[in-house]
Amino acid sequence: MAEWVDLLAWGDAGWGDEMIRGAFWTLLLATVAFTLGVAIGSVGAAAKLSYLLPARWLGQGYTTVIRGVPDLLVIYLLFFGGNQAVMAIARGLFGYDGYIELNAFTIGAIALATVSGAYSTEVIRGAVLAVPRGQIEAARACGMSGWLLFRRIMVPQVARYALPGLGNVWQLTLKDTSLISIVGLVEIMRSAGVASGSTQKPFIFYLSAAVLYLALTAGSNRVFGLAELWANRGVRRA
Amino acid sequence: MNKKLTTLAAVAALAVAGLAADASAKDFAKGSTVKIATEGAYAPWNLTDSAGNLVGFEVDLAADLCKRMEVECEVVQQAWEGIIPALQAGKYDVIMAGMSITEKRMEVIDFSRAYAQTPAVFVVTDSSPSAGFKVDIERVTLEDVDAGEKAALDAIVKEFKGKTIGVQISTTHENFLREYLGKDATVKTYDTQENLDLDLQAGRVDAALASASYWVPLLSSDKGKGMVMVGPGMTGGPFGNGVGAGIRKDDKSLTAMFDAAINAAIADGTAKKLAVQWFGFDASSK
Repeated sequence: MAEWVDLLAWGDAGWGDEMIRGAFWTLLLATVAFTLGVAIGSVGAAAKLSYLLPARWLGQGYTTVIRGVPDLLVIYLLFFGGNQAVMAIARGLFGYDGYIELNAFTIGAIALATVSGAYSTEVIRGAVLAVPRGQIEAARACGMSGWLLFRRIMVPQVARYALPGLGNVWQLTLKDTSLISIVGLVEIMRSAGVASGSTQKPFIFYLSAAVLYLALTAGSNRVFGLAELWANRGVRRA
Repeated sequence: MNKKLTTLAAVAALAVAGLAADASAKDFAKGSTVKIATEGAYAPWNLTDSAGNLVGFEVDLAADLCKRMEVECEVVQQAWEGIIPALQAGKYDVIMAGMSITEKRMEVIDFSRAYAQTPAVFVVTDSSPSAGFKVDIERVTLEDVDAGEKAALDAIVKEFKGKTIGVQISTTHENFLREYLGKDATVKTYDTQENLDLDLQAGRVDAALASASYWVPLLSSDKGKGMVMVGPGMTGGPFGNGVGAGIRKDDKSLTAMFDAAINAAIADGTAKKLAVQWFGFDASSK
């Protein structure tokens, strides 16, 4: 037990601060990626439900490809490919020949947002389709403009239908952050890997990592629970 | 898991290769800046201390080599997954991360000469007649065998003639025994090293052969009571090519600089000193 306390001590003597810092980056990365992902998902759902055929194709292509390949592949392609592309542009346009480092957090957030955006697209599309068609017709009959209809009729109901599914996407995104350790971001899994490899005490650090993930998911479950309560405030329960 | 990641990395690297050319060759010379990547999670080769600093055998060796090459070095941390693609993308110039020189890896990157190799060592019980077995040299390299090494190998054959030597099956150590002692001693194979250790202690085999990196920690623990290492450490030949610095194929000048610096560090004993300090035994190449 004393060994555990020493190993997980705060500051330069132990790994406690490194693990907590890892948890901070995990949470920040997941939050940014999920938020971007919901934005992408809203646009994606609009595209897939659009009257325009090219938009439907685009949305369909995006969700099919991204949901069909491993998340890790998307990250590799964006990280290494993105770097190479930026460097090729720099070389071609400005004659700059050095190495350009793209920030691991930025790339990670873009990659995870791309992935979670594809899942969010489907969740939001389902939620939009769950709003009864008659309500939209009724709103139009009352003379509501498109924007007012969107704000008063669609958003509150879509949020209500989409929240449970989005909660799922959030948890997936939170756990997918561990893949970003490959491109150099020191999040929970990377901190645990470095600490266990350096001290040769894997059990304690991976167990700590599990506790941190559970704390994050349990905490966010609570937040989503509250959000669902809020979204359902106008609906009576039997 | 690792294999899956490596495959994915290879696929991604291929895709990237189609997108743009690899980082172009740089001219390395005295005064250049060289970025060296290490994993920082593979004690004692390279690790991170609890204050977050990179330390370890390779970190110390890199500092020494850079002084010899008169270049500015920066050691950076990179997860093992993706360590080769990122080298090729130009994120850094050298990998020193306990990476064994293998043919598969040499298809995509070059290696400097080996700077480390954990030697294979015989272990017997302290009541064995071989318990005091020693030869004049500490290390036998199985390529370009000189007179002293030939004498040491002959002494090993003589010492274990007619005896039974245990070894874990399908290892480089088994290959060595079959090749060098197959005619004179009985080779007994085990599916696990632990079973071999138990049979050695029970007297069912006269000696056991394995890597020093396995023996040294075991012999200093309770489980290794009554066991002693005997004879020279052996590397090269059937034991493989050792661990070297990974460098892009385009950067031949840098590979040449590392070769020269590693040769010098081995020649003046620095590599050995650092290896003993970090591993507890001489894991440097010869």
